[in-house]
Amino acid sequence: MTKRPGTSQAISPAPGGIGAAGPRATAVGDAAAGEVSLSGAAERPAVTGSARAVFPQAIRAHAGPAAVVAALMGLALLLAFRQAAPILAAPQPAPDAASAMAATLFFFSTLPRMATALLAGACLALSGALFQLVLRNPLASPTTLGISAGANLALVAAMLFMPGLLGFGRDLVALTGSLLAAGLVFLMGARHQFSPFSLVMSGLVVSLWCGALAAVLTLLNDRYLESLFIWGAGSLSQQSWTIPLSLLPKLALAGLLVVLLLRPLFLNELGEAGAKALGLRMAELRLAAIVIAVALAAFVTSAVGVIGFIGLVAPTIARLAGTRRPGAQLFWSTLIGAGLLFLTDTALMALAGQVADFLPTGAVTAIFGSPLLLILLPRLKTRHRVMQAPAAGRRVAAVFAGSRGGAALRVILPVAMLVLLLAVFFGRSPDMSFRLMPPALFGDLVALRLPRILAAFAAGMMLAAAGSILQRLTGNEMASPEVLGISAGATLGVAVAVFVIAAPGLFTQLGFSALGALAVLAIIVLTASRSGLQPERVLLAGIALGAMVDAVVGVIGATGDPRAIFLLRWMSGSTYGVTLEGAMLAGLAAALLLSLTALCRRWLDLLPLGASAASAIGVPLRPARLVLMGLAGLLSAAATTSVGPLSFVGLMAPHLARQLGFTRAAPQLLAACLFGGLLMVAADWIGRSAVYPYEIPAGLVSALIGAPFLIVLMRRGR
Amino acid sequence: MFARRDALRLAAGALVGPLLVGPGYADALKAGGPTRIASLDYGLASTLLSLGLTPVAIAARDDWDKWVVEPPLPAGIADLGASWEINFEVLTSLKPDLILTTPYNAALTPRLEAVAPTLSLGVYTADGGDVLPKAVAATRGLAEGVGRVAEGEALIARTEAFFDACRARLARVAPPPLALINFLDARHARIYTAPGLYHNVLERLGLTNAWAKPGNFWGFETIGIERLAEIGDERARLIAFEPVPADVLPKLALSPLWQALPLARPGHFSVLPGSLMFGMLNDAVRFARILTDHLEQTA
Repeated sequence: MTKRPGTSQAISPAPGGIGAAGPRATAVGDAAAGEVSLSGAAERPAVTGSARAVFPQAIRAHAGPAAVVAALMGLALLLAFRQAAPILAAPQPAPDAASAMAATLFFFSTLPRMATALLAGACLALSGALFQLVLRNPLASPTTLGISAGANLALVAAMLFMPGLLGFGRDLVALTGSLLAAGLVFLMGARHQFSPFSLVMSGLVVSLWCGALAAVLTLLNDRYLESLFIWGAGSLSQQSWTIPLSLLPKLALAGLLVVLLLRPLFLNELGEAGAKALGLRMAELRLAAIVIAVALAAFVTSAVGVIGFIGLVAPTIARLAGTRRPGAQLFWSTLIGAGLLFLTDTALMALAGQVADFLPTGAVTAIFGSPLLLILLPRLKTRHRVMQAPAAGRRVAAVFAGSRGGAALRVILPVAMLVLLLAVFFGRSPDMSFRLMPPALFGDLVALRLPRILAAFAAGMMLAAAGSILQRLTGNEMASPEVLGISAGATLGVAVAVFVIAAPGLFTQLGFSALGALAVLAIIVLTASRSGLQPERVLLAGIALGAMVDAVVGVIGATGDPRAIFLLRWMSGSTYGVTLEGAMLAGLAAALLLSLTALCRRWLDLLPLGASAASAIGVPLRPARLVLMGLAGLLSAAATTSVGPLSFVGLMAPHLARQLGFTRAAPQLLAACLFGGLLMVAADWIGRSAVYPYEIPAGLVSALIGAPFLIVLMRRGR
Repeated sequence: MFARRDALRLAAGALVGPLLVGPGYADALKAGGPTRIASLDYGLASTLLSLGLTPVAIAARDDWDKWVVEPPLPAGIADLGASWEINFEVLTSLKPDLILTTPYNAALTPRLEAVAPTLSLGVYTADGGDVLPKAVAATRGLAEGVGRVAEGEALIARTEAFFDACRARLARVAPPPLALINFLDARHARIYTAPGLYHNVLERLGLTNAWAKPGNFWGFETIGIERLAEIGDERARLIAFEPVPADVLPKLALSPLWQALPLARPGHFSVLPGSLMFGMLNDAVRFARILTDHLEQTA
């Protein structure tokens, strides 16, 4: 980007990615001229009624994004031309069978693939830009709102259980999944007046949950064939024009609807009050725009699978390149998205000759897209949400919480003991019946079950504590170890172990996962320390890293390596590999870290009041945040090594504790830990017994039970 | 007994990777060989059946008929659960005297050894190399490990004789080069190549694999279906193995590229019953028989 538009003020271009753009005067001029009428006509008509931007300024506003589009398209076309040149140069009709085949290949595989890349990129970027405009949330996108994951889950489920549905209703299935996911996310977001941060947090949780469920379906069904992997990772490979030709009218229709919605969307920038004053039914318009955005993402997922991050990156680049107005934002985002995916895919095709491995484009965009998110983070404005002071009625309840909590604890403790005993002594036996442990096998079975139960309990407690810390630190009830990226780091560590060391033992795996978790923690803290360790930034960095790890695992999986199954299994979080030593170690770690956490209870009580309030009372903000984040990180890393990265216990347990009236830090922590431990032990028991002698990993069981449970809980808590 | 154990370790270990023999194994061998054998691997279990021994338990029993098919699994064999996460409660309660495993499950080996003597035989190992010789070596290792050396040699001889017979039958029909795939979905396939089991059997039968590029150590590569056009040989034929996902063939019928592929022309493309692509000798024999019958019928 050599021409920085004058209108770009707060945000400067990202260091990587778009730096290579060469300004092409003619292209810029043409594109800008074409766009001026579009945005000029609708320019802020409501503010003053007459204000129209001066032409030169409008051209300058479009020069930046036009240069970006020209650069992306130029590079992509260059790469595409290198592939096309021999075909186009060949004499017509083809002299021999080989060149006839080459031509067929070009016209029915390469060209439709390019068209698909352009169209899918455009759809996703338009979808992302729409989300960002309507929600006024710079982080909204099909990826971060869980829309793509929802469509993916619906398609995987349909593929396995009702393959007939996919014949005629593929789009419908994807759309249903996306709409359900979107519904869930918005339901949760509504509790926070659609605050950008909480919406993305909810989206990520839904996304993780859909991913977990899709993983379990894959695990239980796909023993030797990894088709679901490929498909989830978004391959653009084509053998006919069917897919691009089906995407084109959908994109055109969506584009038309968006143009019709354009004027009201402009007004949207005035804010709710301004728009209401003009008599616009904003709710309906927003809903319509969101439905269009969801549909676009669903159609792409239905056609080619999940293509990560284009919907987030394209609008971001458009903004960084200086587009300010909604119309321009939508227009340029769409073109940039098309160029971005086109370039990525042509580059991949050019590389495919050199690298033997099969690389799904969607996973590659995620690998490149998620670090970009990391780079962009410091430039985005986030606000610390102050946890709302309890209303008068609730305050009274809080006063009595001590006694209520005490009574609750007297009930919880015996229940905990009972559950633990049952988990050890009651279960499926080899003849498939549920029964108390047969005395003859007593020694053997106790030796097998005890470490797992111990590890599950310790991990559950640690996750609950980590969740409590994070929720208090951020004032966001959707914060949990899953979104901190720590778990993703642990997964990456194990992935490295599995693929670098041919056959890592259990201890090596644990060591690598701990290393991975700590490495991620270090990166996150370093990235976020410039902003004074604002919790929002830390969590967003965690999201970005988590998405990157998912993408890496997706790539590994799509190459079809059977070790991917192992990795998937590990990610789904089982206590299977825990030894007695491992369990003792987990118990020790839990005891140590939990007592350290207990020492920080004053900070935990005060920090939810907000940064300024807390520092006024004398909480040293930076050190307190660093210590608490470090504790949360260590707690989740230690737990991840025994129950895997996804459990949602860290999300559920603090909620349960709050629901029972534990509001102060210390009792809430204690209750949350007990709940966390029990949930994990129960999940482990269900996982061991439900499909005996096969197992469902405890982490997945708790995630599958936990997410819907949480949604119900949040509805009630309203 | 120690000397024999060491010799066994050397003989098998040099060829097929680590051979792990736990305490108590010597006693079992002295008493006429192990009889309560649990197997974590289909290939080893199938070979064991051909040695005249029935395992007490195997991993993923219920999927046997989907992937291995033959030899048929006798009744009364317990299911150990998923091979990478076998159910130790079941395994322990069965009180096995030998456990068969592969380096793929190396992470489990220490815990398996705590239950019973454990024999680990690797055919698909990261150090690469042709799979078929490794399968022969693993068969020998297994035969020695269960005290059935003669039966093991007989199985190998039977297999080689079958391959020779197939080779002779095929020599008469001048078979074309073959591309062997499993469809993953309507746009992607897994193509079998060096150094895999299918590929080695092709070579052994005097056939040519139309896909010349070697794959990973399991012997396959994942490709977009359009890459089948890279196979230039006009005579080449395409064989897809079951299972084929239901929507694949209808969708491909609509693709001009698929229709233009020389490999997909009538008479050049067929779907055959599958055999375990990551198996051992029995799976190689099943594959060779299905293929030879097919090539003779379509010659």
